Amino acid sequence: MTLFQDSGVDPRDERSVLADVLRWYGAIGDAAVGNSPGFGVRKASLAIALAEVAHVSSAERDALYVAGVLHAVGAIGSPAYRKGETLSDRIAAHERWDLPARGARFATSLAALAPETPDMIRWQSEAWDGTGFPDQLRWHGIPPAAQCLALADFFLRTNDPEDALGTIGMQSGRAFGPDFVRIFTMWFHLSGGEVETLPFPIEALPANVNAVDVLDAMADAIDAHNAVNGRWRRLERLCLGAAGALQADAASKARLSLACRMFGAGEVTQAHTEDAQFDPLARLGIDLRARNAAAAASLAEPLETLRHVSAIIAARSEWFDGTGKPKQLKHGEIPRESAILATAIAYERLDRGERLEDAAGTQFDPVVVRALIETAKARA
Amino acid sequence: MIELQERTRRISPSRLHELLVEYDCKSIVDPFMGLPTHLNYLKRHGIAVHGGDLLEWFVRVGEGLVVNDLTYLRDNEVAEIVEMLPGRIYSLDLFKAWEGVFFSEEQCVYLGVWHDNVRNLRSDQQTGLAVLGLWRAFCYWLQKTQSPDDMQDIAPSELAWTYIRQTEQWVIPNMRRNTVRQGDVLATMSSQDADALFLAPPARNSFRSADARIWMWEAWWQGNPYFTIEHAYRDSLLGARAADPPAYARAIATILSAADKYPVIILQTNEQRVTDLEPLLKNARPNVRVVEPHPNEIYLIATK
Repeated sequence: MTLFQDSGVDPRDERSVLADVLRWYGAIGDAAVGNSPGFGVRKASLAIALAEVAHVSSAERDALYVAGVLHAVGAIGSPAYRKGETLSDRIAAHERWDLPARGARFATSLAALAPETPDMIRWQSEAWDGTGFPDQLRWHGIPPAAQCLALADFFLRTNDPEDALGTIGMQSGRAFGPDFVRIFTMWFHLSGGEVETLPFPIEALPANVNAVDVLDAMADAIDAHNAVNGRWRRLERLCLGAAGALQADAASKARLSLACRMFGAGEVTQAHTEDAQFDPLARLGIDLRARNAAAAASLAEPLETLRHVSAIIAARSEWFDGTGKPKQLKHGEIPRESAILATAIAYERLDRGERLEDAAGTQFDPVVVRALIETAKARA
Repeated sequence: MIELQERTRRISPSRLHELLVEYDCKSIVDPFMGLPTHLNYLKRHGIAVHGGDLLEWFVRVGEGLVVNDLTYLRDNEVAEIVEMLPGRIYSLDLFKAWEGVFFSEEQCVYLGVWHDNVRNLRSDQQTGLAVLGLWRAFCYWLQKTQSPDDMQDIAPSELAWTYIRQTEQWVIPNMRRNTVRQGDVLATMSSQDADALFLAPPARNSFRSADARIWMWEAWWQGNPYFTIEHAYRDSLLGARAADPPAYARAIATILSAADKYPVIILQTNEQRVTDLEPLLKNARPNVRVVEPHPNEIYLIATK
């Protein structure tokens, strides 16, 4: 929890932090499959509204909300989406069928969720007639909460609510159980098809789970997805070493540690990592780095306990001489943590670390470069 | 009106696969396979699967989903299944006994046509896929008898077309030999070695309350609307001979004692039956682990 001491939230409130970490990871899952930002939260909220009509218990509704938020996390690390995979269309389709089961496995491994949540994720794409995936469950073998998630997903993916109502009606007895279609129709007529976004049920989360452990597992999964296993751990060691040499305070180190875990999220939607396309010292890569940095920052920005790291991640594509992006910040305008992170990312990718010195004063802060190289040499 | 059961046997193949991976099992035998969609999942994930069941239509579907690596039904072949073909003589009255009771006259005619058409396909694999697709259309009809106003009227041939065409997506090879057979549990077990034995045994006397969507489709496959599922189970180990609790326990013990060659036994049950089955498994194997993700889905995993 010390990593979150600078977040502006009471550091003892572990559940708030955990909720934000879960929402952050859920948003990455959504980004990985191409859903719009906030899709998971809207899906969770609509599923809850349907579950209320279906008389699903209050505890199960809380678990359902979390399942909705995490509905797409199976995409992170899936062969259908991860980098370095070339699959035929058919195999890729089969891999996509497995996303709910992969998501359920990850949710089970977190140990921070209600026991019902993983199975709601697992069975959210099952169809009433047994033609869904991954398990081809049928009829009443599909838990009601999972049917609510399936309905919510279908509704939110259709542009016109009236069209969605019609199509869902036609799917009665096929994709959706007739009783659930009736529930959906009732909800639609009562609400006018407007989805009211609900807050995360923070009280339903366990109080004794360390959010940093959860975040570590997520950062590992993101690195595996990006085909750079263990990168954030290597970077964190480098960054903290350099930060120590530069006499950064504990809060600054905490922000840097978080940034190391979170910046890779920006690369999740890209077909290749930055270093696969451009040399880390090449000016040609500025746009790509800025885009990835902005993507990662935008995932953290809406979350209260992670927002303070967003600016650090966003500024990692700035150049020391003011020719970087997105804001052309220079010298002291660039947050020190961003400068350290950017330098460490480049150093980690270089075949010879000494090349970093060539970019000192232009791309990177010379003081940071010196500190980082000394740290690396000391470790070697 | 026909009663459709609210309780449905839930087998989660993705969870079963996780257990098999944990125990490093690369092949499995399921002598109570039922509809083998779970075996299809395991096959897709590289497990060699071997299934068995007493009901023939399950085995036919297994030919399409489990044994079949390459064959599927093209559009023209599906068209030859879902509609009456000119020049062919059909027994249109075959399912007249169901008319007015469960189905309309048109539906009964289609059932007769489909029954004849699936027997004239080019391979067992195609037949299996067609039987599965047609069964889903049949289930839709039965479901519609429960919720007539909620479900759309779809032309029988269109409904059957959609479902049969969909079966193509499940066909995939796994570079292993996969089999299905029609037979009692002990016959299936004796015919096949594997790393794991998966048992989801039917409850005592469950054949007497079998889901209409299951027994009626066997009746359709047999071409006998008066078929009863008790007939199929008459001489089986868990049939009428295991009607009382001690006889049922003896039957399960017999199965477990015959399972010695399997390094791992995974027995799926629920909270109502686990107290009966767990002691039997513990008698057969020294190490029994209970995995209980849900009260209706409990796995007893026995190792040597």
